[in-house]
Amino acid sequence: MSGAEHTPRPDGRRRLPLLQQPAGPPGDGGPGGSGGSAGRSGRAARQDMRSRQVRAHLLVAGWAGLALLAAAAPDTLPVARWLAVHLLLLGAATTAIVVWSEHFAVAMLHAPVPDRRWSTARLAGVNVSVAGVLLAVWAGPPALIAAACAALAVAVTAHLVVLVRLGRGALGGRLAPVVAYYRAAAVALAAGVVAGGTLATGSAGAAGHTALRLAHVHVTLLGWIGLPVLGTLFMLWPTVLGVRMHARTTPTARRVLALTGGGLTVAVTGLAGPAVLPGPGAAVAWRAATVAGLAAYAAGVAVAVRLWAATVRRGRKAVSVAAAWSLAASAGWLTAGVVHDLVLFATRSPAAAQDGVESLVPLFLLGFVAQVLIGALTYLLPVVTAVGPKARAGSRAVLERAWQARLAALNLAVALLVLPLPGPAATLGVVLAAGAAVAFLGLVVTVLGRRAGAVVTPRAPVLIGTAAAAVATALAVLVAGGGAGGGTTTASGAGTGGAATGTRTVAVSLHDMRVSPSRIEVPRGTALRLKVTNRDAQRHDLRIEDGPTTSLLSDGQTRTLDLGTLTGDRKGWCTVPGHRAAGMTLDIAATGTADGGGRTAAQGAEGHDGHSATASEGSGPDLSADFSAGWHSRDAALAPAAGATVHRIGLHVRQRTVEVAPGVRQRMWTFGGIAPGPTLRGKVGDVFEVTLVNDDTTMGHGVDFHAGALSPDAPMRTLEPGERLVYRFRAERAGAWLYHCSTASMLQHMGNGMYGAVIIDPPGLDEVDREYLLVSSELYLGTPGSAAQVEKMRADTPDAWVFNGVAAQYAKAPLRVRAGERVRFWVVAAGPSDGVAFHVVGTVFDTVYKEGAYVLRPGDGAGGSGGSQVLDLAVAQGGFAETEFPAAGHYPFVDHDMRHAEAGAHGVVEVR
Amino acid sequence: MGGGAVGLWQVVRFLHVTGAMVWVGGQLALSLVVLPLARRLLAAEDRDRFAARAGRRFGMLTGAVFLPVQLGTGWAIAWHKGVTWASLGEPGYGRVLGAKLGLFAVVMLAAALHGWAHARARPELARALAVASLVGSLGVVLLATALPAT
Repeated sequence: MSGAEHTPRPDGRRRLPLLQQPAGPPGDGGPGGSGGSAGRSGRAARQDMRSRQVRAHLLVAGWAGLALLAAAAPDTLPVARWLAVHLLLLGAATTAIVVWSEHFAVAMLHAPVPDRRWSTARLAGVNVSVAGVLLAVWAGPPALIAAACAALAVAVTAHLVVLVRLGRGALGGRLAPVVAYYRAAAVALAAGVVAGGTLATGSAGAAGHTALRLAHVHVTLLGWIGLPVLGTLFMLWPTVLGVRMHARTTPTARRVLALTGGGLTVAVTGLAGPAVLPGPGAAVAWRAATVAGLAAYAAGVAVAVRLWAATVRRGRKAVSVAAAWSLAASAGWLTAGVVHDLVLFATRSPAAAQDGVESLVPLFLLGFVAQVLIGALTYLLPVVTAVGPKARAGSRAVLERAWQARLAALNLAVALLVLPLPGPAATLGVVLAAGAAVAFLGLVVTVLGRRAGAVVTPRAPVLIGTAAAAVATALAVLVAGGGAGGGTTTASGAGTGGAATGTRTVAVSLHDMRVSPSRIEVPRGTALRLKVTNRDAQRHDLRIEDGPTTSLLSDGQTRTLDLGTLTGDRKGWCTVPGHRAAGMTLDIAATGTADGGGRTAAQGAEGHDGHSATASEGSGPDLSADFSAGWHSRDAALAPAAGATVHRIGLHVRQRTVEVAPGVRQRMWTFGGIAPGPTLRGKVGDVFEVTLVNDDTTMGHGVDFHAGALSPDAPMRTLEPGERLVYRFRAERAGAWLYHCSTASMLQHMGNGMYGAVIIDPPGLDEVDREYLLVSSELYLGTPGSAAQVEKMRADTPDAWVFNGVAAQYAKAPLRVRAGERVRFWVVAAGPSDGVAFHVVGTVFDTVYKEGAYVLRPGDGAGGSGGSQVLDLAVAQGGFAETEFPAAGHYPFVDHDMRHAEAGAHGVVEVR
Repeated sequence: MGGGAVGLWQVVRFLHVTGAMVWVGGQLALSLVVLPLARRLLAAEDRDRFAARAGRRFGMLTGAVFLPVQLGTGWAIAWHKGVTWASLGEPGYGRVLGAKLGLFAVVMLAAALHGWAHARARPELARALAVASLVGSLGVVLLATALPAT
């Protein structure tokens, strides 16, 4: 049978070496045979080989099934994405490659079959060490990871040694060069394991991480998986098509290996180089090497693809059309992926290309690896597991069930996942890919199960059932105890409302292999939420011990983790393999109790990046939380006075529920639906004709404009619901004036939002680049007019102090100014009980105007050197201050009464 | 039923726990005691008939009694505790319950498929599914014990 390669069968098709059954060495009974007599070697050996194949493919199917499970829980399972990728590549693909490369090597070299027990031991060694690597990375201890990686490297080396020894003294054949692909691949896997182990144990450090990771990805995907696939296709492709091998196959295979293997070596050296020799000068050389190597690899793939295309043209009806299409599609995706990869590295720096490489993952995993597995197994499984042409055809028919639909679904899925389409498209892609994969796995298990009577022991169903349920239980336990998908955490945070007492949100950023702050101290009993943002080019997540986990975050993405009430110290870390070991950890310390005023600082020892102004109080709204989606800050810009001298304004009193602090909605009593009410602006002598309508159906309201002088009796009277009056006043004097509701209790009416500003420009007011109006006031949460709320007003213990009605709104939506611009801040203190000490951090006021007079003008003071730091206003006073912003930066502005500032009366001027 | 110790909700919970006990215990008894003995003691034909009958009876019991009782009492307890769909995603009680419900659904699916596989004369698959259902049920009990007892 061994010489069959050269013997055309009657139908003119060639019998190719992979169809050989390993019935001992050529000429049976020679030295090195399986030891049995020539009689035993036939059926028994074949039966033995089949059961080994079935078991090996059950392993492949098992790994692939686990990969699907891990992929199904991307947000809940720790390191789920890593796990899914490695279960497929390191589990399923590696097992398949080890089994088949040995099988094909024997066939193509016409070599004696290696000792079965050792073959089994090697395969078991590879699988056990792969399982070890996966478990070790999941568990996390670097020593364990290193040990598992070392074991895997040993197993791979054993595989390599066998491949090399098979070649010695073997007869060799036309396809012998293909075995060189397998040897190169084994070397690539060994290198990939070393790089991966270095990454996973955290030994790479922050600097070398990106470089080593890219090298790892390339050497494993293009080397360990790409090379054997390319090599095997030289033989498998014509076999599946049922045609002769192209005459140029042997030299082409040699050339392609030189191009791809050599190119990959150069490319991986270039990718890993920056980890060894960093620096901008070297970076250029490394990048050139990467691009050159990838170009060579792409050229190799192109040469191979051209040969295969030529094979097709001479073709007839394929043996397995389904297998042929899958193989063709996978070769297509490989080509597309390699070319895209090349373009990425040619046009971007390695760090920038990394994101692009990430987006190629579905292409390689599904389009190339999964599809080549599907194509190869569709053809090969019937060959090795079924006896006789009839059974073979039957098995093939099972594996080819609905192949067009599966092929279309899988390839459409890859396209949907790879192309930059909106979210639903990707979801559809995932569903399609999962459907195609599950369908094929089901068919594989069916085919393997057909041989169940002969091969699978009666224990197998018990083991399979137990394993499946154990996996499902483990997943359920992980989901129960573990992570928080982005959506659900956000949803759970929505119910905070006004009762957010004792909740604290701390902003946490992930960058440079660090979690910052790396330590957070909060009083025991605090409900803690972490707003986690990735500020790194590479992806990270944050897992809290016994708590939630974010999904993997790309640069700039933010997720909120709800840790619940803190009863003890907790630890957090990034679950990306190696990152925890490299130092991406977070300590959360529960200190003392929340009593004693509950105003312990939320920031930890490392809270150095300027959060001081945003640290919230122990009680009151959670100011570092996010505003609801769709929230807009109130525009603080103040428009210039209109040209007209008579201003007619309609003012409707209404109740409105508005977001007054992040995530906190409050029923407000308003002029015109907003608190503060609409701003009126004019010049000295202007007439304001305000039509006040009380649209509030529940109570009476009035208005009092400080800017005009008149007898209060009629215009300031209380309007019952539905009534209206016209309030007419002439602004005789300049200033920043308050207006407010004139109905008792004014404490309640003003405390619930009924106030606003009237700006009357002083004659000769200088032009400035920008003008803002900030009305300061207190915020009282709770049902308006309720005993509890009124009690807080009486005691002057507001829930927050605010500018323009909303706590911390300009911290979230800064005022934007350009460097060098001159800015005038108009400020009115609406109270009802507290004034304001307005200060802009990082600037000095050169002009201060307060209550109708300039307190300071440029050139005042000794030698014109006077400056001012605060515009201080008692309740119901108003004025402005002017300053110039010297340089770009973030200038916080505050009510310098720090109780007020920390409880909402702060914002930021962003100067660009 | 006098006194405050055993009220309506204790009875509901009792029914829920007892139902789970009977379902898991029944599966264990069937697969560890009854069926192995039947395999050993009965002739091949009787054995298959016995196994099929025993399976069908247990399946009917499941569908007619166990499932309605568990779903009814489970839903009532959840309602009593103020569980909402949204709260199933929240860390702590909600998520444990959500995971438990998910696993329970998987177990029920495996049990149903077991019956189907048996009817289609796929003994290996049927056996694997039966074992999966049993082990999965133990997982459900595990998650149930993880629910904070409040």
